[in-house]
Amino acid sequence: MRERFLTGYNDFVLPFVCGMLFVLAYCLIGMIRIIMQLPGEDRKRFFISLVTPKTLVKNIKDIFLKCLIHVDLWKRNKLLGYMHSSIAFGWFMLILVGHIEVFLYTSNLGAKALYYPIFFRYFVAETESTMKGSLIFFLMDFFLLVVLSGIALAIIKRVRSRLFGMRRTTNPSFTDLIGLYSLWSIFPLRLLAESFTADISGGSFLTKSLNYVFTEFLSNHANMLPAWWAYSCALGIFFFVLPFSRYMHIPTEILLIPLRNAGIRIVNARKGLAKAQVYSCPSCGLCIDACPMGVLKGNIRDTTVYLNRQIRRNNESRIEEISDKCLLCGKCTAVCPVGVEGDKLRIAQRSIRRYNFGPDYSNIDVQNEVRRCNKFVNGNNNSVSRPDSHKLLYFAGCMTALTPAIMQATESILKKSGTEYEVMDRDGGICCGRPMFMAGRLEEAREMVRKNTEIILGSGADTLLLSCPICYRIFREEYSLPGIRVIHHTEFMNELISEGKLKVRKGSTRYVFHDPCELGRGCGVYEQPRSVLSAAGELVEAAKNRRESICCGGSLGSLTLGFDKRKAMTENAVANLMSESPDEIVTACPLCQATFGRYSEIPVEDIATVIDRNSK
Amino acid sequence: MKENIVIIGGGIAGMEAASQLLDLGYKPIIIEKSDHLGGHVAEWNCLFPDMTPAGDVVKNLVTRSAGANIFLNTEISFVNKLKDSYNIMLSNGISIITKIILVTTGFSLFDASKKEEYGYGIYDQVITNKDLEHWFNTGDDKRVGDCGMNAVGFVHCVGSRDEKARNSQCSKVCCITAVKQAIEIKQKFPEAMVYCFYMDLRMFGKKYEDFYISAQRDYGIRFIRGRVSEVSENIDGKVIVKAEDTLSGKPVKVTLDLLVLMAGMVCCKDSTKVANMISLPVDSDGFLKSRDNVTGIIEAPKEGIFYAGACTGPKTVPETLAEARAAALNVHLYINRMK
Repeated sequence: MRERFLTGYNDFVLPFVCGMLFVLAYCLIGMIRIIMQLPGEDRKRFFISLVTPKTLVKNIKDIFLKCLIHVDLWKRNKLLGYMHSSIAFGWFMLILVGHIEVFLYTSNLGAKALYYPIFFRYFVAETESTMKGSLIFFLMDFFLLVVLSGIALAIIKRVRSRLFGMRRTTNPSFTDLIGLYSLWSIFPLRLLAESFTADISGGSFLTKSLNYVFTEFLSNHANMLPAWWAYSCALGIFFFVLPFSRYMHIPTEILLIPLRNAGIRIVNARKGLAKAQVYSCPSCGLCIDACPMGVLKGNIRDTTVYLNRQIRRNNESRIEEISDKCLLCGKCTAVCPVGVEGDKLRIAQRSIRRYNFGPDYSNIDVQNEVRRCNKFVNGNNNSVSRPDSHKLLYFAGCMTALTPAIMQATESILKKSGTEYEVMDRDGGICCGRPMFMAGRLEEAREMVRKNTEIILGSGADTLLLSCPICYRIFREEYSLPGIRVIHHTEFMNELISEGKLKVRKGSTRYVFHDPCELGRGCGVYEQPRSVLSAAGELVEAAKNRRESICCGGSLGSLTLGFDKRKAMTENAVANLMSESPDEIVTACPLCQATFGRYSEIPVEDIATVIDRNSK
Repeated sequence: MKENIVIIGGGIAGMEAASQLLDLGYKPIIIEKSDHLGGHVAEWNCLFPDMTPAGDVVKNLVTRSAGANIFLNTEISFVNKLKDSYNIMLSNGISIITKIILVTTGFSLFDASKKEEYGYGIYDQVITNKDLEHWFNTGDDKRVGDCGMNAVGFVHCVGSRDEKARNSQCSKVCCITAVKQAIEIKQKFPEAMVYCFYMDLRMFGKKYEDFYISAQRDYGIRFIRGRVSEVSENIDGKVIVKAEDTLSGKPVKVTLDLLVLMAGMVCCKDSTKVANMISLPVDSDGFLKSRDNVTGIIEAPKEGIFYAGACTGPKTVPETLAEARAAALNVHLYINRMK
């Protein structure tokens, strides 16, 4: 292998070099800005995580598996996974092998290092002694073929997205389209350009064969330079539009992964982690099919992918509309291959809105409640406390107060199991704070969190029982209750049954369990309710369940969706539950129960009432 | 006068129309699914505003319509559309060919247990307006204590004007029914405090307003403007009602011996079934859709089909009777035109 030109330079490299330098500079500045925007404490934690061996290994592993191999997409759909990993991994290998080749066969590189690995074949001629290079030739052609197969699939996906397991895909923006077409053209042009020079610089099964087959056209060296120019221009255009198109997700995700692994949470609605998430969105549109609002066509443009796009455009009115409409069911977060947290991102957008006035909870006096609930404080208890028993405080919450059957059943189960308990809000209590938190009114929510914390800590209890997953989630995420175990009634019943404290009769009723958003995706409780239900009857599954469960449509999350709009969502969710024609729908959330009860043909019950009826 | 006239539903609308048609010389056929005539009114005790005994009204109608062909315990199995008439197959095996159908299927009472927060079916001391009328009639209901009724509450608009209950329409009669029942309770238990929780009081009919003022002035019934948020039960088995008094802007909490839910009128499933058989349109509120809501409320958009009473929306007893008479006249004119 020897160099063909003394200067080792040709003007056609300019579009690529300029584009590449632009992109590198843009990403570097962007990265520094995002890191600087993190709150001081988070920034410190981020830097520490970068040098901690455990997170370091996890970062490298995640970047390799997610950015290059796209494991999440493989799990979803093989064809979709192959398409993405063939382009990403194939391109990465082309760059890597290209560099190895350059460093093996050239000396004193200098500025040539900028473009030689990309345009190497133009600048060199094959000599007899490069047989050793044939492996590299082969690898380069092989990975080019891999990428080309991916591009071919991408073109098919544009027309037939259903083959890839996607019903609907995103409508690309103008810059996305430019990026898309330049990306599609890069690799065919590379093949063409390298085929022209295959008789000079050498090649393998792809380029060399092409050169032989179309010998009339490709051996005419007068055609060579335009092809290399076109290849370089395609690269240049792609790099120049990259920061303004969805392809920005490629560099940003490499930053998002370590940020996430450092355990950083969204604080500012537009800066820091939020910004990293927004720019990491590849506009793949998986969230469109996932969104429960998608049953109404008009809501498709209110999915997370469009939220990210509007945040990038600073389109405030649309950001507000999209953020307020969402049910916050979290399904887009669950299916997102890059880890954009659609629900948290929206709560953050809601939190920057300023209200002229708001409710003031500061004057609510909790001393009465503290006195009423302090049954478990030593000296206050008349009955002799057994050492093995829980000192359990039951917080029913406002939704359970509206569904009194659940409260009755839960109390009855507590009595049957001989648990010592006190109801924290029998006479009306303070809201858990989650609805305010969802509305983005974080300060008001924290005020309620403080008041409830005072009551709970003053009660002397060691367990806090919740029958509403909406409460359960905020108690787990935002409350700090040292020494107190927070537990949902599904988990509690599961324990009682497995410890033999609650005897459940098994009937022949076929139950389908609906995973409430806040319990399943919100708190990761999937198995306990199923094991509880299996004790009472036959358990069947919905078409989409667990992480993919469909929101009932009654969620408190949406600030603007009316009842007429929610109806279609509820009916869709009911139809999903009916796939194995169960006798009864069982859920573990009072709100889901009330919502389904409105539209379901078969009975809808909370898991507590089912278990209470079937136990002694 | 050989023309067959089929009246679907033997409530007050069906009977009134039948009696008018009998007077006009026709021989109508009444199809009634239950074992007696009179529908919802037969289960009521007294009717506002003059406290007319419902039993008398029904008895009178039954006598006047006795000449009609009446099929009790009978439902419609299916209807075939012929060239210019309908072939109606009944569950008792009889089939009728007719050109004229009068739909008087009425309404259903809203299932109060669907508003779980009010505790119907969960707490013993929560009953509906229908349960209370049943007790007035028979005195047989363990939930209504014979002695020691200290406080009784009435919740207006249960399942009416309530999007969450899938009924956005006003049921029209519950405001005045609640006033009537509150007065009756006060007459039976003069010592009891009686509360009415309302969101609006729609006293549109003749003498309704007088009735309402009398309830406040003469009987001391307390009207609290605001929806009930939740109902719970205390250890003594009494119900605790939490509501907001929106006039004073304060939350209120009262302990009651009995809570009566004013369940509203919703479309009847049998109306929908009949509508499907004859392919009649159903309105957005679930009731049958008239040709025109102003000038043609008793006419279906189809030739030869007529409506009367609450099958097209909530109605009072006098409104229903008036519609039944009008429908009978329309049927008569329609038959004359056909000749």
